[in-house]
Amino acid sequence: MCLAVPMRITKIDGFQCTCEARGIEREVSLFMLQDETLAPGDHILVHVGYAIQKVSEQDAADSWALFDEMLATEA
Amino acid sequence: MTMGAADRLQAINALDFDRPVRIMNVCGGHERSISAAGLRAVLPGNVELVPGPGCPVCICPEEDVYEAIQLALHEDITLVAFGDMLRVPVNAPKREPRSLEQAKAAGADIRPIASPIDAVRIAEEDPSRPVVFFAAGFETTTAPVASMLAEGAPDNLLVLLSGRLTWPAVALLLDSDTPGFDALIAPGHVSTVMGPEEWEFVVDKHDIPAAVAGFTSVSLLAAMYSVLRQLKEERHFLDNCYPEVVRAGGNVEARRQLEQVMDVVDANWRGIGVIPRSGFALREAYAAHDARQRFRSYADESRKRVGEMPPGCDCAKVVLGKIYPNQCRLYGAACTPRKPIGPCMVSDEGACRIWWSAGYRDNEWEGDKKGRAVG
Ligand code: SF4
Repeated sequence: MCLAVPMRITKIDGFQCTCEARGIEREVSLFMLQDETLAPGDHILVHVGYAIQKVSEQDAADSWALFDEMLATEA
Repeated sequence: MTMGAADRLQAINALDFDRPVRIMNVCGGHERSISAAGLRAVLPGNVELVPGPGCPVCICPEEDVYEAIQLALHEDITLVAFGDMLRVPVNAPKREPRSLEQAKAAGADIRPIASPIDAVRIAEEDPSRPVVFFAAGFETTTAPVASMLAEGAPDNLLVLLSGRLTWPAVALLLDSDTPGFDALIAPGHVSTVMGPEEWEFVVDKHDIPAAVAGFTSVSLLAAMYSVLRQLKEERHFLDNCYPEVVRAGGNVEARRQLEQVMDVVDANWRGIGVIPRSGFALREAYAAHDARQRFRSYADESRKRVGEMPPGCDCAKVVLGKIYPNQCRLYGAACTPRKPIGPCMVSDEGACRIWWSAGYRDNEWEGDKKGRAVG
């Protein structure tokens, strides 16, 4: 439950945004990141539908490589 | 494995550690990465990796799960909970539902959710119907629940809160005579929210090396290398091996919202007991959203094994790192992910479930028993 996943912001509407990762879309709350300046194209770390931190594109890519690895072992 | 990981591993081997050392992690995500990548097999033989208190579902009080089940059965409400909670067993009398899943099968309106946003949406669908959000989780999960309330939740959305802090369980171990570990890998996403400073007590008060890690093999091995080198050089500090995400002070706004909505209180951990200042409770200003204030309590102290793990389940010992999952006599025998006995096999973050998914099939308890005279 404490594992957050990185996603890319596609649309922002107030404290709500739409994010995408690996072709999956999600509605995500930015309420805990209201101090950050965020724009579509930025990457955020998402946990239970809430962004907990802004991350770089490189970090997002690294984490996704990890999830692919883990999904492969569990399949 | 990437080059980075191989380099780290080589560096760890080059330390040539000459005594047994136990490194504890306190995060289901870390344990999953360690098990999935097979790190135990590639580390030097005298380095042991111990899964510790990293599963909020596993330590969620049995009484709280029972309360959620009873609310769903007897009140005219919709109960929502993270999917992991639905199969957690309680010690209910025969013929009564023993999990939220069974209560749902018996007709209760119970729905799994993946986010507080889902809870809000369900509450908005029918403002006349109370929706109770049974929210168990550590800081990373509890902060969004606080955020949901801070932003303003619908009047008919109530929270049955079972939030817990991670570090007090580690403090409990370190304050005991047998902590069971020599170094700590601190949780990456808990630290993202709360700040790495939460873990400074491990070094300052107990002189145990600690390193915050991310979830890739590279990040985990970097943290392991850090604590091993700290031990070797006898210079202990809190290392942040996940600086790209974990920043000093954590997520300040998230912490502010937690503080605004919740108090830190003494709290009960299943199979372990009350740990001082280890839980969250809604503040008075949010009483209107507190399910415990709105509904009568269904606590029944006369129930058999109230508060305990299911009979034969050693989950509490697994959570505290006292035994490995496969040292439970039921591991892989009566207890598997398909037919889980205890919460550590139910939850994706439970060490038993993680070990089984990673392919550990041997049961050491059986092996041990065979060698011993059973009396
Ligand atoms: S294997 Fe099953 S019964 Fe044993 S500790 Fe783990 S969850 Fe409990």
